[in-house]
Amino acid sequence: MNRLHDFIRQRAASGNISLADAGEAATAFHRSLMEVEEQALLLDIMPLRYLRNGLRCREQLRLLQARVAVIGCGGLGGSVAALLARLGIGRLRLVDPDRFEEHNLNRQQFATVDSLGRPKTETARTAIRSINPAIEVEAIVRPFAEADIEAIDIVVDGLDDGGKRLELAAYCNKLARPLVHGAVREWHGQAGIATARNRLLASLYPNVGQGSDSKPPMNVVAPTVTLIAAIQAAETCKLILGIDSPLARSWMLCNLLDNVFEHIPA
Amino acid sequence: MQVTVKLFAFFRDGRFKEEGGEYPAGTVVGDIVDGLGIGRDEVGVVMINSLQHSLQSPIADGDIVAIFPVIGGG
Repeated sequence: MNRLHDFIRQRAASGNISLADAGEAATAFHRSLMEVEEQALLLDIMPLRYLRNGLRCREQLRLLQARVAVIGCGGLGGSVAALLARLGIGRLRLVDPDRFEEHNLNRQQFATVDSLGRPKTETARTAIRSINPAIEVEAIVRPFAEADIEAIDIVVDGLDDGGKRLELAAYCNKLARPLVHGAVREWHGQAGIATARNRLLASLYPNVGQGSDSKPPMNVVAPTVTLIAAIQAAETCKLILGIDSPLARSWMLCNLLDNVFEHIPA
Repeated sequence: MQVTVKLFAFFRDGRFKEEGGEYPAGTVVGDIVDGLGIGRDEVGVVMINSLQHSLQSPIADGDIVAIFPVIGGG
């Protein structure tokens, strides 16, 4: 480890380490890129990729050591995963049984002409590797299960069905995991942080039976997805860093037609 | 009795943002929803005077009733 530290210090004359140097260290010392960047952060050396995050090394290290499950990897989930990768969340577990279809192209980050027919989580993992190869991304192609959130710190809701959301919230409550909720429809979206204490999802979906297949697919425009996904990613980051948020006490309703953003007590 | 009804998100489409109305004694929130042509299964959060209630909750003179839709897409 000392030789690796010496190598990192030597290459980080300006207090930062480049991707190329970290990659060289990974090869020379038989470590993963993530392990090298983790060691750099422990030495108070910031990987260049994170320089403009503006965080302290110990904060960036907390992000790198965090484990986040993104349940549902379509519109919201795909965009959240990309944002979390750029922030530097070290371990992402993406869970979704679906493959990309043509009607996903209007709003889903990783839906492209080339990815049609391919599993959403595996496509996201491949794309995220090119955004940030120094994090671990696990792609699971099946419906979510309780085990998916066991070795996880925070769960992100990328689902598209009220019944499934209640099922996920029940797992999160049981295992005491915060659930960063987001949902979209047309030009409207909502976001909040569900906990066992506030039972947010039971409030938002009062007429849905658990596990039910309720409504036909909803219309959604891409800006709504991007907006709500950005809020979910920011809230996830804030939870990891211990930054207080109004969403600890309320949920948020966003109306992109009138540009109205409201907080409603949770 | 006089009640103020506030609608949110797409519930406003073709309706209103906020409107006062006269309702008979014994009205519950669900009756207001029915009168607006909104399906009860489309309703998410319901608040009376900023406190969360249900479609079965009775309303009183002077109440402000806020009705939010279920937003379920991802």
